[in-house]
Amino acid sequence: MPEVDVSEYSDVWVFIEEHAGEVAPVSWELLSEAQSLMENKDEDEELVALCIGENLDDVAEEALARGADRALVADDPVFEPYRADPYGKQFRHLVAERKPDVVLIGGTSTGRDFAGRVAVPTHAGLTADCTELGIDDEGHLEAGRPAFGGNVIATIKCENHRPQMATIRPGVFEATEPAEADGDVDHVEVVVTEDETVTEVETREVGETVDITDADRIVAVGGGIEGDLGPAEMLADALDAELAASRKAVDSGWVGHDRQVGQTGKSVRPELYVAVGISGAVQHLEGMNDSEVVVAINNDPNAPMFDHADYGIVGDLFEVCEELAEQIGNPEALQEVIA
Amino acid sequence: MTDNWTVLVGVKQVPDEDDVSIDPDTGTLNRAEAAAILNPPDKNALEAALRLKDEVGARVIAVTMGPPTATPVLELAVALGCDDGALISDYAFAGSDTWPTSLTLARAGEYFDADVFICGEETTDSSTGQVPPGIAAHLDWAQLTYVEELEPRPEDDQLAAVRDVEGGWERVVADLPVVVAVGYGENQPRPSGLHRKIYAENEFEPIELDAEELGIDADEVGLDASPTQVGGMDTASPVEREQELLDSVDDLAATLHKQEVV
Repeated sequence: MPEVDVSEYSDVWVFIEEHAGEVAPVSWELLSEAQSLMENKDEDEELVALCIGENLDDVAEEALARGADRALVADDPVFEPYRADPYGKQFRHLVAERKPDVVLIGGTSTGRDFAGRVAVPTHAGLTADCTELGIDDEGHLEAGRPAFGGNVIATIKCENHRPQMATIRPGVFEATEPAEADGDVDHVEVVVTEDETVTEVETREVGETVDITDADRIVAVGGGIEGDLGPAEMLADALDAELAASRKAVDSGWVGHDRQVGQTGKSVRPELYVAVGISGAVQHLEGMNDSEVVVAINNDPNAPMFDHADYGIVGDLFEVCEELAEQIGNPEALQEVIA
Repeated sequence: MTDNWTVLVGVKQVPDEDDVSIDPDTGTLNRAEAAAILNPPDKNALEAALRLKDEVGARVIAVTMGPPTATPVLELAVALGCDDGALISDYAFAGSDTWPTSLTLARAGEYFDADVFICGEETTDSSTGQVPPGIAAHLDWAQLTYVEELEPRPEDDQLAAVRDVEGGWERVVADLPVVVAVGYGENQPRPSGLHRKIYAENEFEPIELDAEELGIDADEVGLDASPTQVGGMDTASPVEREQELLDSVDDLAATLHKQEVV
C-alpha cells in the first residue's frame, strides 16, 4: 500500500449535493457543522464547498453565504443529473490536485453512491452514516457512528490515509441561516466529457421532496399499520404534523424512503413524536431519541417502543388514531377532556 | 454482443440481528451466540440475479468472502437456483474494512469474467453500503445502486435499472460490465426448489479461492490495508422517558395539552 504523507493534506471540504438547482438540506447542515470543526484545524486551512453540477452560480453564492471560505465549482452539462462515473472522475482529479484533509458528504442515496465510488481510488478512509464529528488533538477526524444496531457509538479514525471521508446522516446537525457571502468562487477545469461516460439517465421523475428533519411534529408509522395509512394520516392532519416511517414501513413500500427515520434514514428532533405501530428497534430509536415528547400507540403491550416513550396507549391503533385526531381537531371536545 | 452473461452475486454470512441479545447484567451484546444467517438484503440480490438468468439465460455464481463455516450461505444460493458458488477464504483477509473487501470482490469479478456483479444494498452487521460502489471503483465499471428493478438489454450489451433517488426514481442505462446494488426489499425472493435444495445440501461443493489465486498480494488486504480503524466504543446513553401508560385517548389528549404540545 503506498505511503501517504498526511501533512500534505489540508482544508475541509463539504460536498454540496445539488439536483437541478435544488440543494439537499443535509449539505447546508454539514457546512454549518464544519465551521465548528474548523476551530480545531490550523488557522490557514479553509472550509471549501465542493459544487459539482450545472448552472451553479446561485448554489456557489449560497454556499459562501452559509459559511464556506471558498466554493470549488465544476459546472458542466455532463454533471446534470448526478451520475457516479463523471462525478467520480472529476472528484479524483480535484483530490489529486488540491489534497483535501477532510471530505464530508450527506448520507442520502446520492451521497452514499458518490462516497463509496470516490473513496476507493483515492484510498481514502470512509466512515458511513456518522452522527458525531470531531477533531482529535493530533488533527485527525473522529467520526462517530452507531454500531451494533445503535447500542454503542463507535469512533472511527483514519490516521494514515487521506482524505478522511465521512457520510453524515441527514438531520443530525442544524443548518444555520445564510449571512452575507464572504469568500472566493473557483471555477475548476472540467476533466470529463460525455463520450467517456458509461451510464445514461433516460428518465428522472422526482416529485416534491419532503424534509422531515425540520418538522415540529411527526406522526411515524411502522409495521403495525399493515399498509393502512388512513388513520395515521388523519392524526397527522389534525396535529399539523409530517408523516414519517420506520424502515419496516418504508421497505414494505407504504411510505417513501425520504420519510424514513433511523439508521440509514434521517434523524429528527420534533417537539412531538407519535409512533404508531412501531415496535421500537434500536435502529429506529436512534433517529428520534432527541424528540421532546414521545407518544407510543401500539396494540402489542410488549413493544419496546413503550420503554422509550413518555406516554403510551395500548390499543387498536386505528381506533386510537381516529379518536385522538377527532379530539385534537375539535377544540370543544378537547376542552371537555381537559376540564 | 457477448454470449450468455456471467452474473456474480456477492453474499455474506451475518449474525441474526433478532438473535443478538443484550446481557442484562453487563449491558454488553451477546453477538457470538447469535445464529449465522444469510445477510437479509442479499436475498433481493439473489432474486434479481435469478431473474436475469430467467430473462437472458445468464450463468449465475454466488461468491462469499469468509471462513469455510460460511459455506451454508452458498448452499442456500445454489438451492435458490444459482449455477455455482465460490468461497473466497484466506487468513490474509482478516481485519479487512470496506476498501480491501471491495478489492477482493473486484478481483473475483475479473476472475470469473463477470458481466454483472450484483450485491445487496448493505450488510446488516456493518451497514455501510460502501462495498458495491467500491467494487465498481476498483474495476472502473459502471455502478447502479438502490436499484428497484433491472431491465436487461443484451442486444446492446447494456443493463438498465430503475433506481430510487431522493423524492422519486430514475431509469439509468449502464454499459456492461456493471456493478448493481439492489434496494432492500425491492423484490419478492423465490423459494428454493426441492431438487435444487437436495443437490445443494448433498452434492454441491463450492469453488475455493484464496488471495493468490485472485492475484492479490497479502499487503493489499487485511487490517494493514484498511484505511479506517475503530478508535473507541462508547455505550450510547439511553434517553430518560416518562414511560407512563395511559388508559384512554381522553387522558392522552389532556396530557398532551398540559405538555403544551397540542
